[in-house]
Amino acid sequence: MSVLEFRNVSKSFPGVKALGDISFAVEKQEVHVLIGENGAGKSTLIKILTGVNSADPGSEIWIDNKKAEIGSPVDALNLGIVAIYQDFSLFDNLSVVENIALGLQVTRQKKVVDWKGMRKKAEQAMKKVRLEADPDELVANISVAKKQLVAIARALVYDVKVLIMDEPTSCLSQGEVEQLFEIVRELKADGVTIIFVSHKMEEIFEIGDQITVLRDGQYIKTASKDNITIDELIELMVGRKVTYETYGKRKMNEPVLRVENLCKKANFKDISFELNKGEILGVTGLVGAGRTEMVQAIFGLNKPDSGAIYLHGKKITIHSPVDAIKHKFGYVPENRLTEGLVQTQSIKRNLNVAILEKLKKGVFLSDTARSKSAANWMEKLSIKPVLPDMPVGKLSGGNQQRVVIAKWLATDPEVLIVDEPTAGIDIGAKEEIHRLLRELSDGGMSIIVVSSELPEVISICDRILIMKNGRIVAEMGEGATQEEILNKAVL
Amino acid sequence: MERVRNLFKKKEAGIITIFIIVMIIITIGNNAFLSPANIMNILTTNIVMGIAALGMLLVIITGGIDVSIGWVITIVTVVIGEFSTKVGGNLFILILVACATGAAFGLANGILVAHLKLPAIVATLGTMSIINGLVLLVTNGKYIRELPDYISGLGQQYLFKVEMAEGGFYGFPVIWLFWIGAIVLTWFVLRHTLVGRGIYAVGGNVESAERVGYRPKRVLTFAYVYTGIMAGLAAVVHTGIVRIVDPLAFKGFEMQVIAAVVVGGANVLGGYGTVLGTTIGVIFMGVINNGMVLMHIPTFYQKIAVGLIILIAVSIDVVQQTMKERRMVKVDIKD
Amino acid sequence: MKKIKAKSSEVYVLLGVLAAIIILFGVASGGALFSGNILQTFAFQFPEFGLLALGMMVAILTGGINMSLVSTAALAGILGAMVLSNPALDETTAITLGIVVCVGSACLMGALNGAIIACLNVPPMLVTIGTMTLFEGISLNLTEGGAISGFPETFFQVGSGSILGIPIPLLLFIIMAVILFLLLEKTPWGEKVYMLGSNPKVTRYSGINNTAVLFRVYVLSGLMCGLAALIMISRYNSTKVDYGASYLLQTVSAVVLGGTSISGGYGKVAGTVIAILVIQMITTGFNLLGINKLFTDICVGAVLIAVLAANSLKESGKLNFSKKRNLA
Repeated sequence: MSVLEFRNVSKSFPGVKALGDISFAVEKQEVHVLIGENGAGKSTLIKILTGVNSADPGSEIWIDNKKAEIGSPVDALNLGIVAIYQDFSLFDNLSVVENIALGLQVTRQKKVVDWKGMRKKAEQAMKKVRLEADPDELVANISVAKKQLVAIARALVYDVKVLIMDEPTSCLSQGEVEQLFEIVRELKADGVTIIFVSHKMEEIFEIGDQITVLRDGQYIKTASKDNITIDELIELMVGRKVTYETYGKRKMNEPVLRVENLCKKANFKDISFELNKGEILGVTGLVGAGRTEMVQAIFGLNKPDSGAIYLHGKKITIHSPVDAIKHKFGYVPENRLTEGLVQTQSIKRNLNVAILEKLKKGVFLSDTARSKSAANWMEKLSIKPVLPDMPVGKLSGGNQQRVVIAKWLATDPEVLIVDEPTAGIDIGAKEEIHRLLRELSDGGMSIIVVSSELPEVISICDRILIMKNGRIVAEMGEGATQEEILNKAVL
Repeated sequence: MERVRNLFKKKEAGIITIFIIVMIIITIGNNAFLSPANIMNILTTNIVMGIAALGMLLVIITGGIDVSIGWVITIVTVVIGEFSTKVGGNLFILILVACATGAAFGLANGILVAHLKLPAIVATLGTMSIINGLVLLVTNGKYIRELPDYISGLGQQYLFKVEMAEGGFYGFPVIWLFWIGAIVLTWFVLRHTLVGRGIYAVGGNVESAERVGYRPKRVLTFAYVYTGIMAGLAAVVHTGIVRIVDPLAFKGFEMQVIAAVVVGGANVLGGYGTVLGTTIGVIFMGVINNGMVLMHIPTFYQKIAVGLIILIAVSIDVVQQTMKERRMVKVDIKD
Repeated sequence: MKKIKAKSSEVYVLLGVLAAIIILFGVASGGALFSGNILQTFAFQFPEFGLLALGMMVAILTGGINMSLVSTAALAGILGAMVLSNPALDETTAITLGIVVCVGSACLMGALNGAIIACLNVPPMLVTIGTMTLFEGISLNLTEGGAISGFPETFFQVGSGSILGIPIPLLLFIIMAVILFLLLEKTPWGEKVYMLGSNPKVTRYSGINNTAVLFRVYVLSGLMCGLAALIMISRYNSTKVDYGASYLLQTVSAVVLGGTSISGGYGKVAGTVIAILVIQMITTGFNLLGINKLFTDICVGAVLIAVLAANSLKESGKLNFSKKRNLA
């Protein structure tokens, strides 16, 4: 008997169809994995299921073979559809107890808070997820791993029928993942159905029963995990066999950058490595391993407690990005939307933002220099459409990423740090970015690529550093495989 | 439980310490400060501020601000004046009228901020200027006098009045009940009602609040309406104390209220703030003003002091926040 | 491309509004609006408001606000006036020194705002509410509630004299508007102001020294106050603290009306200038028609809310767009 069924679920946003006619069923007591690339429509589907967004007319969701009306988050919660969000969705300013149990009281439409009841519920849920924390501590003051447990505990206080877990393991260490899986199995035994959104293949095969693949807002296939292989799954996800072009591993020994014993409390520890001229150095590991914190320390965005950075053998101090740019560093941040580009401003302005002082003629900015520089970079990186005055937010993800990279290329950097260079962009654009990075390194630029996507790291990097819990735990070069890297990153 | 209390207390502990130091200084300067009569005087003169600050607290916890509060109180006093002189009625009806009027203006602010999503400061600046114009247009800037006894006598009513042999008396002023009532009500709303917790939730993380089932627009609107109701109550008490309606009585009042709430430890970026802290903040500001008078410091210095206190309080608040964020555990490093 | 057209068309719409208002009041007043006298008064009156509005504009462009504008101007005026009315100084020294003190102190007050906002990252609104109270307090303290008067004769020229038939206040305003235009729209600093106003994180990540940019914004805002103060004290030949707080709101209204986004990042000097003229024209017109001045306050408040509400509705359209982006 299917506990949940999507029937022709569609969702359009002005100008874009995010979901088209999704239909599939989820059986009771199974762990149903939802998989797909960024932009495949997973999050839209979840938002519809949890009542945050409404689906287009004609879409139907059936629960226990009855048509369900989900018009608001409360409707969904009352139907027993509960989600654990990737960003946890917690209240830093409230206590653990309230974070876990407040929502339940809201859905029950109470007027007055039942503190005793809340505490009881919360403590039960905490026990279930084995969360050891002071229930009255503010969530702002607990560690990330505990926050994840709070987020899970919060879901368990409801009368859960369908539990949606959106990338629940992204911030957990291996031991914690095991613990989580145990909880998932217990829930399953209790009769809960779980929709498990994940990217990590080994997890999917460990915990999943059925696997549904979405691509470009379309339903592709549902298969039992016993009848499908990882390769087949990847092929379904991207629509063709994915093999990134594999570039050869180059051997260089002309050090440009040397980092020695860089430490920052609660961020990273004892980071030492060298980066050669014309080399692409990969930094990988699980989310929360301290990768971004580490590269931001090099770029002056995150002040380290101790350690030293040498450029061409000379010790340098970088207090801010201003210093970093003086030393010819560039940093393409992880989040294009909020850190990389001013979405509402024009492509031209974004392209020129790091080189304004160079575009002066006397004291004033030269309009011709601005336009010329922008046109030059748009052409070089084939940023399309060629409308320099269009807000950059209207470009596709791949083109936006090229604008961010072009912004830094304009500063003529020696060391370019690229954080998740291809997150959220489609596969064709990914390969173009890869090619671009390789070209740049061939031209003598030293590049650090931070990425969670192992095929990407293996494909383009000459050497790979693997980080775990704030430390570099391994370095790999020729012959690195996904399995090996994962073993190091996880175990 | 204890930890949370400590945490909330941390901020309040700071102000309480300063508070005590200031009191000691003032007492040394003039030992009349600690006399019962003076303490009663301080409390009574700050009731209006105390009640208004409770309303402002809710708005500030949501991450907003209401600069129209002074003029809302003013327009309610005008309505009270007109109503009581022209219609009559009794205190109970008058309170209802006052709170309803205040709530109506609060609702207007709430709609602008929650539904039209205008920045709170600009929306309330706009309503402030409209109300300001309305009030002066209606009253011509003139006082309304000769209010009925039930309202103009309110400030002189005492419970448990004990006449002293040497003349004078002690008693429990009835208007204190308004303040105490407002404190208890606001505490109850914030601590024990779902919408009150919703105000913290929305101030902390709007998206999450929506996901757990709150309707942020309603919660926000409630906060502004509640502020309006408190403004109405403050207007009644004010009229009961001064016994006339002065259209210019609350010029610049909003800044003092905001200052008191911020000094009381509420975070202007939203999410934090307590009734206890706010009330201490109000009394603290009252003590400073009173102390300056007692120490014969010209009244003009009071504004300087208030300005400095606002600057220091908000700066400390923000710096603390940044430090805390910096200390936040990003990666669990295992040794 | 469309975007640019839309932007300049906004300015044309405003110009149209201005023309309509002029015609409206012109007709309603039976042509009295165009009498030399009224125009003369107008030309002398609006620059001080205009300068304050420009000072507000730079702050708003960064997503901030300067609530202390009026009290900065008042305090600067008082400090200047104290020098000017000092009988121990000869006329030239008094005037030179007075101008320097007036403008300089305003810049310092702006610097104080800027330092707290830029270095400590305290929300601008709170900082400037605090400094507003502080400056008002200092002003009250200096004047003890009274007024300072008795300036050298020549000083009145600043507020009431003309050069080549152009009133000096107007000249001052035009010069500052042009300078601001050049600074904002033609220099790297201006470009940084716009980018920072839209997203300070991106500018920081792009190697822009946000602190320095912001600091200068508030100093510039202070400078505008200082110049406005000069005109004020010379026009009234005296100074006191209470210049009418409605000014503050009116400056915000002018800036928003002129097409500057209250959340920062957008806004042209030309738009603000026209909006300043519109608001002053309404005030003058109401005055001329004998309509209570208070209606101006109500009107300005209503217009402010209406414009913002319209913008917010427009922006919610934009929001949908960005949502779509995230999903696509």
